[in-house]
Amino acid sequence: MTSMGTSSFEITVNIIKTLAVFLMMVQAVPILVWLERRGSAFIQNRFGPNRVGPLGLVQLLADAVKFLHKEDFVPDKANRFLFYAAPVFALIPASIAYMAIPMSTPLILGESRFLIQGFEINVGIVFILGISSLAAYTILMAGWGSGSKFSLMGAMRASAQIISYELALGLSIVGVIMTYGTFNLTDMITAQMGALNFSGFGYTTTISWLPNWGIFYQPVAAVIFFAAAFAESNRLPFDLAEGEAELVAGFHTEYGGFKMLMFFIGEYGHMMIAAGLMTTFFFGGYLIPYITPDDVYQFGLNNFGSETAAHIFNSAVHFLMYNVKFALFLWIFIHVRWTLPRFRYDQLMDLGWKTMLPWALGNTIVTSIVIFSAAYFSISFPPAVEDVLKQIFKYFTRT
Amino acid sequence: MSVDAILFWILTLVVLVSAMSVILMTNPIYSALCLAMTMVGVAAIFVTLNAYFLAGVQLIVYAGAVMVLFVMVLMLFDLKHELQSFSRGKFTGALKIGSVGILAGLIVGAVTIGKSLTEVKAVAENAVVVDTTKILSQNLFLKNIFGFEALGVLLLVIAVGTVALSRSKGGTHARD
Repeated sequence: MTSMGTSSFEITVNIIKTLAVFLMMVQAVPILVWLERRGSAFIQNRFGPNRVGPLGLVQLLADAVKFLHKEDFVPDKANRFLFYAAPVFALIPASIAYMAIPMSTPLILGESRFLIQGFEINVGIVFILGISSLAAYTILMAGWGSGSKFSLMGAMRASAQIISYELALGLSIVGVIMTYGTFNLTDMITAQMGALNFSGFGYTTTISWLPNWGIFYQPVAAVIFFAAAFAESNRLPFDLAEGEAELVAGFHTEYGGFKMLMFFIGEYGHMMIAAGLMTTFFFGGYLIPYITPDDVYQFGLNNFGSETAAHIFNSAVHFLMYNVKFALFLWIFIHVRWTLPRFRYDQLMDLGWKTMLPWALGNTIVTSIVIFSAAYFSISFPPAVEDVLKQIFKYFTRT
Repeated sequence: MSVDAILFWILTLVVLVSAMSVILMTNPIYSALCLAMTMVGVAAIFVTLNAYFLAGVQLIVYAGAVMVLFVMVLMLFDLKHELQSFSRGKFTGALKIGSVGILAGLIVGAVTIGKSLTEVKAVAENAVVVDTTKILSQNLFLKNIFGFEALGVLLLVIAVGTVALSRSKGGTHARD
């Protein structure tokens, strides 16, 4: 295990960094809750929380204090051990999985090189999928452990939904993995550098006004992945698990106070993982369109003089870029929640098994055929057709 | 003790304790949850051996899908405690003693064979870290393609057979 570093300086920084990434995920939740409440108020023509602090920003702090002061309550019929264990386990998969997402270019200080992510794993996607698939247990533990019918039914719905949509989610990623030819998230981001560049069948086309993002290679996968991510994080329009009209609140009916808040943090954590993966797979990760990290580094070197300052500047700028994209997807999550109504349960299962799964499977097959034939065959057109094609390409590739 | 050794002993403890709990717990739901914990522990041991892909697949397939279904079904049936499945007669007593003997033999065998494997460990430590995922897929899809496909067909046969069995005599809509 040399991944923590070789010198004591590196090990210290890496341990602090791991804690910081974990805390960052937890600390982003109050901001997201504030955004959700203010955003929903904005969409529904209300005010939302605006009394405590500037713009109501301190409201969540007040809420947290309130949650801590609530009575610690266990229902009579509940299984005490599972009832207490479930909220704690709800935090673990989300926070561990989020740590594997790279958030900026590596920070280089002298001899040491620090990755701006919790830890790097060579098979990042498989790891994230595996860890976040454990979230179904917390829901089942909470639902069964509460000893209540509403909780159990909510937990059954939620876990059935998560298992169904995990298939579509996993299969949609297979196309992405084949396109980049790697499981490593950092390698995927590096592959999206520069201008859009299709090559195959003996031709290479560069479209200089578009970045080389995954969405242009795998649009179907992007749509399926994003839709399935909504179902995975149990948010509207897929929040049948807590359909309050039928089930009170689903699997966390019996929970209150801080235990309930921990489920909340877990749910927002899944949303953040989905937004981070969306950014990484399809929108270039931390890369800035039209500019390479080297350009940013040179700019920093010219303006700040020292190499250390340039490296710090480089990482900071890319971290900011990642967060801009990340926040955009989080906002889409919130906006969709307050825009679309809830599905019916049979519609949900039909969408998962009969629509998204076949499309994801088809996308995988088509991608593999195209990748194979683009690498091994070359097409030659008659000169007249080639001229026309060149004219069309010229139209698209103009600067 | 190095970090690797400490990690290994902690993980081994987790795996062994949860594996023992699977059979010692009286509540079947706890048993299923402990089995899931065992799977997660084994995945973590794979990670310490640098077999990241195997660890991920172990998590996705066993811990994330198979065991979730087990737990879900157990929770739906809401089994409280297991019934006494064996009587305390002479025959079952002999069976118990026999299985303890077999287990003891297995442990002794594993230890004696394990002693001769220290050389293999030394070789493995010198090996360069390579792309294990690629080697794994080459083994599965190029070298052992027929066995792999045969296993797939076998799984399909099992799935079809299960559906056929559950649907015979009217299946869930039977009126008897």
